[in-house]
Amino acid sequence: MNSVTLILIGNAILSLFLITIWGLTLNGMVMKIVARVHGRFGPPVWQPFLDIIKNNAKRTMIAHGTMFFLGPVFRIASGIGTYLFIPAIFGSTVFSNFSFSGDVFLVMYFIFFGQLGMALGAGESGHPYSPIGVSRGLAQMTAFEVPFSLAVISLAVQYNTLSITEIVAAQQGSILNWTIFTNPLAAIAALIALLGMNMHNPFSIVIAPQEIPIGPPTEYHSAYLGMLQTNRAIFNIAKLVLYMNLFFGGATNFITLILKTFLIYIFTSVAVGVAFPRFRTEQSIRFFLKYPALIGLLAIIIVSIK
Amino acid sequence: MVNPIYIFITSLGAAFLLNLFQKINRKIADLIFFLTLAVINYISLFWFYQLLQGYEAAKIYTAGFLPPYSINLYLGIEEAVFLVLINLLGFFSAVYLYKKFREISIKAMILYLVLIMGLNGLVMTRDLFNLFVFLEITSITTYALISLEDNKYSLTAGFKFIIAGGLVSTLFLIGTIYLYRLGGSLNLDFLVNSGVLNTKAGILATFLLVFALLIELKPFPANGWALDVYQSVHPGIAAIIASASSAAIFFVIYKFIPLMPSSFLPLLAGIGGVTFVFSNLMGLKQTDARRLLGYSSIAQMGLLLAALALIMQFDNLQSLSSIIVIIGGLFINHFLAKAGLFWLAGIVQKRNIRSWKIIANNPPLLLVFGGFILALIGLPPFPGFWAKWELVMQLSANNMMVWVWIILAGSLLEAVYLFRWFGYAVKNTEVEEIRTEAAQYLPVLIFLLGLLYLGMEGTHLVSGADSIYVLPVLLGVILYVLNWLPNKLKGSLCLLAVIYFSYRLLPALQDIYQLFGVVFLIGSAVLLITTFARKDIFKGFYPLLIIMILSLGNLLQAKTSLQFFLSWEFITITSYLLILRGKFSLKAALIYITFSLAGAYLILAGMGLAFRDTGVVSLAGLASIVNSGYIYVLLGLGFLIKIGIVGFHVWLPGAYTEAEDDFTPFLSAVLSKMGIFGLIMLAILLGEPVLKGIQLNYILGWLGVLTAFFGALLAAFQEDIKKLLAYSSLGQLGYIVLALAIHSHLGWVTSIYLTFTHLLFKGILFVAVAGLLSRVKTRKMYEMGGLINNMPLTFISVLIAIIALSGVPPLSGFGGKWLLYSSLLEKGWYLQAGLAFFASTIAFLYCYRILHSVFLGQPKTALRDVKEPSVWYIVPQYLFLFGIMAISMYPNLILKPVMSAVSTYFASSIYWEDYTVISSLGYWNGNAVMMVTMGVFMIPLLWLLFRIKAVTKVKQFNIVYAAERPDRPETTHYAHNFFAHYQKALGFLARPKVTEFWGNIAEVIHSVGALFRQLYTGNGQTYAIHILIFLLISYFILGVK
Repeated sequence: MNSVTLILIGNAILSLFLITIWGLTLNGMVMKIVARVHGRFGPPVWQPFLDIIKNNAKRTMIAHGTMFFLGPVFRIASGIGTYLFIPAIFGSTVFSNFSFSGDVFLVMYFIFFGQLGMALGAGESGHPYSPIGVSRGLAQMTAFEVPFSLAVISLAVQYNTLSITEIVAAQQGSILNWTIFTNPLAAIAALIALLGMNMHNPFSIVIAPQEIPIGPPTEYHSAYLGMLQTNRAIFNIAKLVLYMNLFFGGATNFITLILKTFLIYIFTSVAVGVAFPRFRTEQSIRFFLKYPALIGLLAIIIVSIK
Repeated sequence: MVNPIYIFITSLGAAFLLNLFQKINRKIADLIFFLTLAVINYISLFWFYQLLQGYEAAKIYTAGFLPPYSINLYLGIEEAVFLVLINLLGFFSAVYLYKKFREISIKAMILYLVLIMGLNGLVMTRDLFNLFVFLEITSITTYALISLEDNKYSLTAGFKFIIAGGLVSTLFLIGTIYLYRLGGSLNLDFLVNSGVLNTKAGILATFLLVFALLIELKPFPANGWALDVYQSVHPGIAAIIASASSAAIFFVIYKFIPLMPSSFLPLLAGIGGVTFVFSNLMGLKQTDARRLLGYSSIAQMGLLLAALALIMQFDNLQSLSSIIVIIGGLFINHFLAKAGLFWLAGIVQKRNIRSWKIIANNPPLLLVFGGFILALIGLPPFPGFWAKWELVMQLSANNMMVWVWIILAGSLLEAVYLFRWFGYAVKNTEVEEIRTEAAQYLPVLIFLLGLLYLGMEGTHLVSGADSIYVLPVLLGVILYVLNWLPNKLKGSLCLLAVIYFSYRLLPALQDIYQLFGVVFLIGSAVLLITTFARKDIFKGFYPLLIIMILSLGNLLQAKTSLQFFLSWEFITITSYLLILRGKFSLKAALIYITFSLAGAYLILAGMGLAFRDTGVVSLAGLASIVNSGYIYVLLGLGFLIKIGIVGFHVWLPGAYTEAEDDFTPFLSAVLSKMGIFGLIMLAILLGEPVLKGIQLNYILGWLGVLTAFFGALLAAFQEDIKKLLAYSSLGQLGYIVLALAIHSHLGWVTSIYLTFTHLLFKGILFVAVAGLLSRVKTRKMYEMGGLINNMPLTFISVLIAIIALSGVPPLSGFGGKWLLYSSLLEKGWYLQAGLAFFASTIAFLYCYRILHSVFLGQPKTALRDVKEPSVWYIVPQYLFLFGIMAISMYPNLILKPVMSAVSTYFASSIYWEDYTVISSLGYWNGNAVMMVTMGVFMIPLLWLLFRIKAVTKVKQFNIVYAAERPDRPETTHYAHNFFAHYQKALGFLARPKVTEFWGNIAEVIHSVGALFRQLYTGNGQTYAIHILIFLLISYFILGVK
């Protein structure tokens, strides 16, 4: 391994470490905010850190088989990988991660890597709720990927590139250069899709408390669960960073990144999530395939006419 | 020189003497009977040989006068051919009938001799009244022979026959009288030159004559009497009526052509065409084997008549050889095959075509039966194939496209009922044995060999053909003969043959052709290993397989459209027969062959058009066609049907599912690519054609992406694992077509890349399923579960294949997706890209479903002791797996050769920087993705492994289950109707509309066939009316003024 590679890896670890901290904090803040909206006091902001430490420190674990054992590994590898394939901060060497490996399609597909792996692990647990959750999750995913992919295609046409770095570069200069202003339809379609991706209400059909207790991770506990919780923070932030890059001009420093991802999260998923009840699975599928998909189509048509 | 008149003298003399000798000793009489037949065979063969050597034709004048004062006979080369055939059939049919003859009085033999003599006379005579006499002789003897079968059906059939015969004689006599009155002669040659034909009365008289002869050819709809005859008469006699009598009458009509005004020809062609199509239409609903043969017989004679009348109308006759190929090929094909089939019908002794399954107990008979069926349909390597090809080419060259369609439509209908019949015969569930006697079996075999020989001879007569197919067929025959060897040895021989063939062929191929060669041959070679796992004796499997695989190779090296089509047909037939081997594949195989043949006929028609425009049959010649839209559509549609494009996909799930488990991998991984190859070849030759202002590639692209979408959606809803994978294959082929349609460097690179990856992962999946099903006796996924512990090796390979299929990085599938979207965006096909993306996410649904329902979840009690499949299933999987891992790690291994192959045709729009491939829009470094993924996977894995001491393995039902302990895996394994909610949301898109559509079409066609069958009431008077009405209608159509 030569020094260039070593520097790359070192940078990636640093970048990942910082983003994990922010991701966990963000989750803590959101739990607090949601609790306040509900009129509860809520857990402390650092609760996610405590959960992870606690779960990893459990003395015993059980396993239902090899795939069950590997499920969380797939999941977190996908979370980390997704983040690492995105250039997190524009112009920063440390935060450009491994974005030279591929463009936005790589990121979109790498998300599936973890979903598939986790689903396999959950499947081997033998608990019926797990595959029920997986089946719902996959079904909903096919639906929300439609407006999202249409939006990305619209962007590719608009900027004539698939490289995230170049898309961010094209949005620099003024706030009016942000995609949300230059291509609002694509942004809207993608943001609605983000609601589905984040699986807050009304799209919380995968975890679905009171229905199928927590869906796929039902059988996961101790270190497995700790890993899944860590992933939840990293993966969440990875998606937010991706959205920030694609639609909100990216970030040129870490503070901007924190601010933008926080705002995107709060004003999309969290705000919607606390205000709506849950869809049934088929309702959710139909929802994404109607207006959001149409908006996405319009976004493509408009940019391709220009 | 033996005077041909001895044919009459010996047969008549023997006929008189037989009765006498019989009084002395029956055996002597029998001997004389056969000697006589042998003598007339000798005379006709002798003359045939002499005439071939260039001797002058024999002109025989009776009573020492010259015509027109005497009856004259003529024996030229054409007559000689017919005589040889009729007499040979006479001899062999006599051998076949010998047992029957022994049972009844000597009179039957006498009648038989006289009948054969009459047919000889029909062929040779040049005198109208003499013709009438021979016509009567054959009629009366036939009538008497019909009554050989001693039952009431044959009696009534005979009576109907005599009614029709009476009408024919009357019409013929009236015509003869008029002609004699007008022309003053009964001699054909004199009448032609007499000018009488230019008068109205002369035309009417000729019409009556020709019409009388036509009725003898049993045209639709005036042929009810004939069908009853075919149905009730002894098969040995039916063979004579269907082949020999028809041949003689056909030749008489041929002799009459110079006599006819040119306005007769379209009428004759029309009657022939209508007869061909309608007889085949009505054959569809027929279940009585002999009546079915009757329909087929009538149809074939209709085709022959139409072909003759059409050829006579050609402005520019290409060459004598093409006439010989068309008329001779069609004629001989029908002559030998029909006689053979009637004989077989006598051997099998079963009326209902469903009962023919007993034939499967007797493989040689089954082989012969299959051969005749293939010959009748006009498939290689039989003469009918060359004839149909040449006919279509010549019709196209003369701008008679309507006729091409009529003939192809009729042929397709015929193929459907014949293959249906064959299907029933193959499915052996009976134990009943067929009694075969050498006397009955030998004639059948000899005729089949004759067909094969003549089919081979056809190679020399048709332009653009060569013996490219001989090697595969030869190897097939060798393997068939070596059937007694152990299976593994046969399989190894097969494998060696394929490897050697690849070693010879692949270096000789260029760019894209070479890549497809690798897919076809190397892919097949790996899949062949799977078949080693078989334990049972399976006759015919390897022979068919080797013909199929080598023909795939031949497809690549075809230089002319005929060679291409020939190989294409060989693959179609062999794959059909292989699918038919599946246990419950009867219906699926029939649908497969119907669609495949329809596709092949479209290709044939397209090649006809190309021949019209270029005048050559070389494939390279296609490139010179300016207005190539129609050709592209026809050929393209043919290829798309083979791929199973949406709308024509109805054959695919059934064929994939019902084929034997170790043959399905060939269908999906290898065979489906021949359509892709066809499309690419077409695009290389024709570019991007436009038809009526429509960019055809644009439509092709949409067809591709819709196929991808519906394939994925339908796959998600299947419970049957093979059906799921079948639909999945369909979807994957959709992407390949979509990429192909882009028609750019990147598009084609994508297409070929996907072709390769599809070979790898579908090869793994179908082989894995074959292994799985060898252990688990159900295809329903929800009846399995938890098999990961029973068959970990299979699970790992399936997992890898599924990851590759779904397109998830870091495996090779992602490369395909990335290339696809890049090429689509580069082309500007944004909406297609969106839909393709949607389809590829739906693919996750079925991908997960396979893994979960089969390998994960709760193991079923009954399957607890299931073991890993035999090593022969594992080896090919891991060979393919190695391929996937290699090209995932180093995509340039495959991308670089593909890119350089495609750059022969397009300038490249992507380039490499180390391991990164860069397109005009984005970039992808497969190697880096693999490294990063492995890195981020290892870190958490190490952490978990660090904690592994804390892990306890728990038992099956040890789960958090709402305070209850589940006791049955069936209620706990969530697998049935896995995507119920998806069905609720999008199920309306998955309704079998297309299947219903084709089902309705089939229903309508069958119903129409049934409707027309009602014409045949069985009433002799009605049949007589039919003949008269037919006469009037024909006369009005002719419009003689």
